[in-house]
Amino acid sequence: MSSTENVLSPEYKEAVTNLLFQLADDDFLFSYRGSEWLGLAPHIEEDVASSSISQDSMGHATMYYTLLEDLGLGKADDLAHLRPVQERKNSVLTERVNGEGYYMETPQYDWAYAVVRSYFYTQAKKVKIDSLRQSSYTPLAEAAVKVNMELFYHMLHWKTWFVQLLSSTDEAKKKMNDAIELVMKDFGDVFSYGSAKQAIESNGLIASEEELKDKWKANMAPVFESIGMEVPAIPEAPAANGRNGDHSEDLTEALSTLSEVYRLDPVAIW
Amino acid sequence: MSNLSTMTEEEKLEQFVQRIEAGDKIEADDWMPEEYRMALVKLISMHGISEIMGALPEKEWVPKAPSLHRKLGIMAKVQDEMGHGQLLLRVAEDLLKPYGKNRGDLMQDLFKGDLKFHNVFHMETKTWADAGLVGWLVDGAAIITQTNMLGASYGPYARALQRICAEEVFHAQHGEAIIMALAEGTDEQKAMIQDALNRWWEALLMFFGPASKDTTGTSKQDVTIKYKIRTKTNEQLRQDFFDKYIPRILSLGLTIPDSTMHYDEENKTWVYEQPDWSEFKKIIKNQGPRSQARLNLRRSSYENNAWVRDALAATVN
Amino acid sequence: MAEKTFYQEYEVFSKRTPSSAFQHQFSLLAPNEDMALVMAQENFMRREPVADIWIVNRKHIRGMDAEEKLTLGRLDNKQYRTTKGYGYLKKKWRHYEQQMLDEKEILSWGGDDK
Repeated sequence: MSSTENVLSPEYKEAVTNLLFQLADDDFLFSYRGSEWLGLAPHIEEDVASSSISQDSMGHATMYYTLLEDLGLGKADDLAHLRPVQERKNSVLTERVNGEGYYMETPQYDWAYAVVRSYFYTQAKKVKIDSLRQSSYTPLAEAAVKVNMELFYHMLHWKTWFVQLLSSTDEAKKKMNDAIELVMKDFGDVFSYGSAKQAIESNGLIASEEELKDKWKANMAPVFESIGMEVPAIPEAPAANGRNGDHSEDLTEALSTLSEVYRLDPVAIW
Repeated sequence: MSNLSTMTEEEKLEQFVQRIEAGDKIEADDWMPEEYRMALVKLISMHGISEIMGALPEKEWVPKAPSLHRKLGIMAKVQDEMGHGQLLLRVAEDLLKPYGKNRGDLMQDLFKGDLKFHNVFHMETKTWADAGLVGWLVDGAAIITQTNMLGASYGPYARALQRICAEEVFHAQHGEAIIMALAEGTDEQKAMIQDALNRWWEALLMFFGPASKDTTGTSKQDVTIKYKIRTKTNEQLRQDFFDKYIPRILSLGLTIPDSTMHYDEENKTWVYEQPDWSEFKKIIKNQGPRSQARLNLRRSSYENNAWVRDALAATVN
Repeated sequence: MAEKTFYQEYEVFSKRTPSSAFQHQFSLLAPNEDMALVMAQENFMRREPVADIWIVNRKHIRGMDAEEKLTLGRLDNKQYRTTKGYGYLKKKWRHYEQQMLDEKEILSWGGDDK
């Protein structure tokens, strides 16, 4: 909406832009990693079911990139495909590879990691979306209402997998616990707004980092309790903060793959 | 009508043939002659596993798809391939019950090389144009063969095909959209499609199978026609494909990589150069360009995830 | 080993709208009901609206075998059960200058007030 753009103060616009990039890049990378699983899930029915979640998530990323496009930041496709790694604002958690090996060869993807990352991430997304529905930036609040509709299924899906695998064999429990540890190591920037914390929080765009963390823990508690476990602690400070453009080699590789064709000719129509 | 339990095998067969002739649908629990069950098992397990293997060549282009819209479209398309595999393998699994075999056994048959998958899915998908061409022409070819079986005498297969063909329409349009964008694009983009067509042409001809068993030694087309699983021969289907697609390919300014190709008005058939059928035999014996790589990927992901299936087995209630 | 125990067969039924009847879709393999339910919608109803889903373990379905299906046979002489057997009333009512209240007419009474 061009009229909205006109009335935004430069500081407010910068805060909105920063938050939108965080949300967009998160879902974009989360979906990308999910899409690498396509055809390789442990069970055919699950392959089909989880692909829908990857598609929904890419759909959500597209909504955010389009909001950025509306703010005059450039074409949504350019924003998704061409921004260099140091400009990316996704959480490090979403960029991590699914496991050892290149997807074109015979990768050894870890389903326990997929389940834990997806469940923890989706719960984090859910508390953010709940807050974003009251965002001071109306287009974002409207998008959040839409995204929320699809999160019920994502939550049910990953919660079911999480609980069932942790209630099954010793081998599965071990793998799941290893995965929880791995995921939590990268959880420090999931609720971080990076250096834009003050700007994002003071403009009423979304609740504070601390409030969202508490909500996440509160929502997770009954699920962990039901399987006799405790909610793991979120690291105080992130090892690397993706919100500030601090990323791993995994993201560099992902970006070069996902933009390989697009970069052949970014002005062509594909 | 006589009591089934007192009927001789001959009487059962006679009744079965009458039902098929009358256009009746056979269901999973119905009596059926062994030859019919075996023909269905071969056809449908091969069809189902081909969908599962067919997800892999296109899956390679999922992360690389060149826009958000294309990324979404190709994800949905590959998801459908897995979904078609699911529908078809369920049909095959029910037919396999008398032999005590299930999906796990089918996967093992695939790994051992006993269960084949379609020749096209042994090929390399080298560029983004291949991803489009697969949707447009491979799925186009699949639509021709599958719609030919929509009236199949076996009810569960016919019903699965109804669903599958409806979704294939989306696949074909997804492929057409990619190809159309390239055809209307830069010179490099146009060259990409021509290159893809050149590399895929033989595989597309082979997709329909040999015209008769004289070509390759075996053909299952006779028994499937006899039992009204399908109506047209391999060659008729290939000709149908030419009818529908040759004009479309040419209209986009592409060249058919067969200089002998022409329509014989008198015989109302397309005349074309036969693909190398000895190559076809090699490919379906898993000696195609990407056969082993794709089988390895399927096997390693299946084995790598075995602990998940074991874990779920512990939750059976 | 898991291959033999993992799979249970679930038949999936769904309703398109809150007011429509349940319709059979296809079947899927899942270890238990919760998992079957989580898989059902995306496997069979990715492109259509869904208002509700049932999943039924196949072992709980009592079907008919071929011999039992013979009990479904019936002669075509039961017009007395259907309106077809009473079609002559139309003419009769015309005689009394009245319209026959046929199925179409009667089922329309549930509609809007006129």
